[in-house]
Amino acid sequence: MALDQQAQAAGLRLGQALADARALLPGLTVLEQDTGFLASAFAEFADWHSNASPLVGVLQDKAPFGDLVLDITGVAHLFGGEAAMLRMVLGRLRALGYSVAGAIAPTIGAAWAQSHFGSSGIIGSEQLSDALDKLPVAALRLDERQVSLLTQMGLTRIGALRTRPRKPMLARFGASLILRIDQAYGQIEERMTPRLPPADHFVERKFFEPISTLEDVLLTMEGLAQDLSQLLEAEGLGGQGFHLFLYRVDHKVMTLSLNAARLTRDAGHIASLFRHRAQRLEQEHYDPGFGIDLVRLAAASLDRLEPGQAGVFETDNGAKDIEQLTDRLASRLGPLSVLKTELVASHIPERAARLVPALTQQAQIAAAGEGDRDRPLRLLPQPEPVAISAEVPDGLPAAMIWRRQRYRLVKAAGPERISAEWWRSGERLKLVPAERPTPPAPGEAPKPLPYTPDLPLFDPMTGMRDYYIVEDGEGHRFWVFRLGLYGGAVHPVWYLHGVFP
Amino acid sequence: MFLFCSYSHSTMQTQNRQQRLAALRDTIANIERKPALAEMRARAFDGAADGFPRLPGGLLQDVCTDAVRNGGASLGFALGQVRTLFTPKRLAVLYLQLAADAQFFGLPYGPGLSSFGLDPAQLVIVRASDMQDLLWVAEEALACRAVAGIVADIGGAPEMLDFTASRRLSLRTAESGTSLFLLRYGADRPASAAHLRWHLAPHRSGRKPFDDRAPGPARWGLTLERGNTGQNTREWILEWTGNAFKSLPDRAGKTRQHPPGTPVSLPLPALLGNPISQTG
Repeated sequence: MALDQQAQAAGLRLGQALADARALLPGLTVLEQDTGFLASAFAEFADWHSNASPLVGVLQDKAPFGDLVLDITGVAHLFGGEAAMLRMVLGRLRALGYSVAGAIAPTIGAAWAQSHFGSSGIIGSEQLSDALDKLPVAALRLDERQVSLLTQMGLTRIGALRTRPRKPMLARFGASLILRIDQAYGQIEERMTPRLPPADHFVERKFFEPISTLEDVLLTMEGLAQDLSQLLEAEGLGGQGFHLFLYRVDHKVMTLSLNAARLTRDAGHIASLFRHRAQRLEQEHYDPGFGIDLVRLAAASLDRLEPGQAGVFETDNGAKDIEQLTDRLASRLGPLSVLKTELVASHIPERAARLVPALTQQAQIAAAGEGDRDRPLRLLPQPEPVAISAEVPDGLPAAMIWRRQRYRLVKAAGPERISAEWWRSGERLKLVPAERPTPPAPGEAPKPLPYTPDLPLFDPMTGMRDYYIVEDGEGHRFWVFRLGLYGGAVHPVWYLHGVFP
Repeated sequence: MFLFCSYSHSTMQTQNRQQRLAALRDTIANIERKPALAEMRARAFDGAADGFPRLPGGLLQDVCTDAVRNGGASLGFALGQVRTLFTPKRLAVLYLQLAADAQFFGLPYGPGLSSFGLDPAQLVIVRASDMQDLLWVAEEALACRAVAGIVADIGGAPEMLDFTASRRLSLRTAESGTSLFLLRYGADRPASAAHLRWHLAPHRSGRKPFDDRAPGPARWGLTLERGNTGQNTREWILEWTGNAFKSLPDRAGKTRQHPPGTPVSLPLPALLGNPISQTG
């Protein structure tokens, strides 16, 4: 993986066998590497670097941990220039005791190459080709087979690869070599995946003495919400997603994210949403460690917001109040706990109404006008099997046992026949009988058969439901159905699907 | 002629003034958040004289029924009342349930709400993970001025919903003007500070036109166990007509309204009376 200076001085090499290493250093302590734990610990450590730049990622091309990439486009001036930023980042890591090398370059490939195989430094866009040409081919993040093949052929520097014809290289080494060369020189754009949600509109507050209680954090958050609201108002924007980043002194980051139902920049509303979200956090796992020294509030999913909509005065109708209420409930309970009904044009009862999170902006689709059908007020998510005695084949149900209670049914209405939706079942309909191919006349080519897809045949009898509205002697009204028909292959089963008022 | 016109004008003025006074009273109650109970006697005659009273908002009502199979009936009763509480500013109704109880009680069904007479777009369903969250949601929703009513399915007798919690809820409902309906199941009656407590029993439905064997419109038997609606009767047989409750006479054929001989107190002047006779 990597060697530090002491190990290099002792003569150890990467990829050396354990016996050889022990021969060089007799008192060597061997620890088994827990790659998963190290990878996740490194990832958390990487999050801490987002106080330098919001876009931090772990580059996992060559190793599950060990390579950090930061996108510092537009951030370097905050630290006094690129050189000062590089010194700051490397310096504080070295102060923590890490052996680290770093480089700044216009492309990810070049930065990786320079930091691993060159000295720590900055490559400007004009010096990109020169700097890369001098580096060995292993700096291109290739695998070992490709590197050994290239060195065997005498191509030791990247500069030699750049000018060669591509087709033979493609055939010999594969497409990844071409891709890496183009990425390093900037012909193909390579993006890093940031670990934390990116947000360029943010406000932050640094603390000289770290804070640790949740109440202090929430107070800070309220102040930051005011600042963020002013920032967004100055640009005429509103946000729909908000992230609160808490940077701990031991280099970990806690993130609180939430979504609002519609664009907002109202400081009071944002603060109350975070307060409710923090109550949920408190129950789960709020661990400030040794303290929090930076709190950052960022807005994402931004869009233009007219000035008049940010106020919270009495509105004409209560729609905005309802949305704020659903925001608050969803921020504490989770977005899947606050639902509204969406009517879908389907005959199948459990598909006719869909519960969607109340936060989703829904285009107002008018309900399919089946309002004259009688439907129960309560629907069971899963129909429950019941034992019903009825006359065969189309008699109305006469007695029922549901949840271990007997009901004597005196009234029944039905049946309402609802069959399965064949277009959703992945089966084909049998509309025309299959053609028997006629033998071709002598001398003619045989006619091709009509195309029939290789799907099972749809059997309308299996998914057929007959719904009945039944009432018993005391006045309980239920919605039951029979799945399947008598006389079919499978004996029909009765289910209870809903309860009427 | 002139005299006659002025009298009728003044009586019409009296009627208009009373209506305007009633409207002003409503607005002031809204602003000051006066508890609705104080107004209930004056409102008892909003409905038909022998019908189910049209109850105002701001009441904590327990709707108790014997078993979960009556869940549709109690939900229908609660939603029927909420329907009368809709105003242009209060448009939403909330339904609360514990997430684990979905299969046990069933969830409100959109097309079923349409056939009942309610627009499913007005309903918000909240599924809480435990009783503490459910009570928190109830309080938050009561604080919102745009909710007309909240219906919560409470199974069993949870310890969190004790007398103190229900007293807190009753104070909040009275302050906010939003009604909260707790649908309870079972035979025992836990201590509760609800303004009204109903017992709902299923009742056989009537005839459906053109189909003798089919169930007709929904009917329930209601008993007011606790509380006061401003009427003398405490038992009703209600039918839901798709728009409102219709009170039905019981088996004996007479309405179970005012027992004979009891004077009926009318706090409002007789608006239905002969206008000319008031001039005396």
